[in-house]
Amino acid sequence: MIDRRRKSSLKRTQQRMAVLFILPALAVYALFVLYPLAMSLWGSFFIWKGLRITEFAGLSNFSRLFVFPSSARLYGALWHNTAWFFGIMVFQNGIGLLFAWLLFLRDRGAAFFQSVFFFPAVLSPVIVGALWRLLLAPGGVVEWALNGLGLHQGSLTVLGNSHTALAMLVAVDAWNWMGLPVLIYTAGLRQISGQIFEAAKLDGAGNARMLFSVALPLLMPALGTLTTLSFINTFNQFDIVYVMQGVQGNPSYSTDTLVTYFYRLAFGAEGAVGITDIGLALALGTMLFLILSVGTLLMLRFFDRRTVQL
Amino acid sequence: MSALTMAGNPVISRRLSRLPGWTVLALWTAAVLLPLYILVVSCFKSTAEIYDNRLGLPASWAFDNFVNAWTRADLGHNFINSLIVTAGAVILTIVVSAMAAYPLSRYRLGWNAIMLGLFLSGIMLPIRLASVELFTLMRNLGLLDSLTGLILVYSAIRIPFAVFIFANFMRVLPSELDEAARMDGAGEVRILFQIILPMVKPAVSIVAIFTAIAVWNDFFFPLIFIFDDRYKTVPLAISVFVGQYRTDWGLVFASLAISMAPILIMYCLLARQIREGVGAGGGMK
Repeated sequence: MIDRRRKSSLKRTQQRMAVLFILPALAVYALFVLYPLAMSLWGSFFIWKGLRITEFAGLSNFSRLFVFPSSARLYGALWHNTAWFFGIMVFQNGIGLLFAWLLFLRDRGAAFFQSVFFFPAVLSPVIVGALWRLLLAPGGVVEWALNGLGLHQGSLTVLGNSHTALAMLVAVDAWNWMGLPVLIYTAGLRQISGQIFEAAKLDGAGNARMLFSVALPLLMPALGTLTTLSFINTFNQFDIVYVMQGVQGNPSYSTDTLVTYFYRLAFGAEGAVGITDIGLALALGTMLFLILSVGTLLMLRFFDRRTVQL
Repeated sequence: MSALTMAGNPVISRRLSRLPGWTVLALWTAAVLLPLYILVVSCFKSTAEIYDNRLGLPASWAFDNFVNAWTRADLGHNFINSLIVTAGAVILTIVVSAMAAYPLSRYRLGWNAIMLGLFLSGIMLPIRLASVELFTLMRNLGLLDSLTGLILVYSAIRIPFAVFIFANFMRVLPSELDEAARMDGAGEVRILFQIILPMVKPAVSIVAIFTAIAVWNDFFFPLIFIFDDRYKTVPLAISVFVGQYRTDWGLVFASLAISMAPILIMYCLLARQIREGVGAGGGMK
């Protein structure tokens, strides 16, 4: 009896304390994340004058996105983000898997290589972008090295060339984050029981066979994490473009991404006079939000189904 | 792992078969370290020497570039702003997230799962897309052009990850801990800060490290919210520098080196925790 009364009074105290404990975090999070995000989605259905809503516009902001001249920027940015994503999947997560496999095959030195490979990931993309802009500039050290090795002649203009600029940014981004797949894949490989590899070896599987037929199916959770993270990061790409190619995604919008386009619409650097179009920006934001959330959910489900249970 | 290496090959052929692998790893190590080496030695060179002497050590180790970056370009100022914002956001995030995670992971409330879900959904939310409304909100609250505003926004963004980490670590602590303290008459605030929090030190350091990296490196929110030079943070100042001093390469290299120094030092000291933290939470960017 006494015990039960004490328990129910403890429960009441806990309910009250819980509210007090959760309130500060919830208030900050709700005010600066949930509320602005909800208002942005809501606001994309209205006509804007400057920073003020005037009247309900239905889907007209969205349809304007797909009409010239906005459509050119939208399709361009969508394509650049998509190409960026596949580039990262091949050159960062693919090569990262190779590195992780090599580190797994020899047990010595793994911590050293992991630390070195991960180091650029703790640097700001702004610093990484600025550093590579200097290295890749005409007269920079990369030009000097390529000319010296006889692989290239004259001035290196890869960042000023609309055919090569995007690939260069993807390469810099891959350099920046290469340590992440290496860490996640090696962690995944270590969770696989050594007996499985031993059995495969007895069956005569070589190293390559073992990587692709034995390890890779068991690495689906790691691959899923990396694919999802790469997808989210790619479709939020802004800093490297801004620092290396400016907010217009130079040259001639060839490195423009959805977020640089969004930034120009929202904060005014789009078009010759640099006006803002908040309605269009919010519609683009809502679209990007849908792409990100639907894409992420589909990926999580896809990889969940392909996870092999042992 | 050792099962693989003990497959019975003669030692020498095993070493030879490993050579291509080592070469690949060494090549990427060079690809990471060489740009950083060039960055560091270029800081001590004049622009002319950067062109003449690409890879060599500087003829004389002059600190002019650092002095100029610190004084003429006033990077010292930005550095202090970044320190204030980073420290503020780390402390605020840890305190409020630990407070929220404690009841959510250790009380039976009936609504913990829903509330935890609400917090965790924030790990995925693309907050940059809300930056117009966030801008309006900050303006109405008088938080534009202020370090306090940045601290609040960064904390709000990092709270979901921090609550996730704290809740995971607190959930597995034995329930006798707080029950015994309660018997002794300790209040809930004391239980959290004097018993639970010291028990989850690894969680505190994971949250501190990853919040510090994310906040120190961020560029997007200062770009939107800060106009006055007095309140600019390091990444924002760097982005201006790169355009402004584009011909003075030594100065730009020096400013890059200064701005990455705190993270470099932290990384050298905490590389292991960071590697393990990526495994524990994964919430880096």
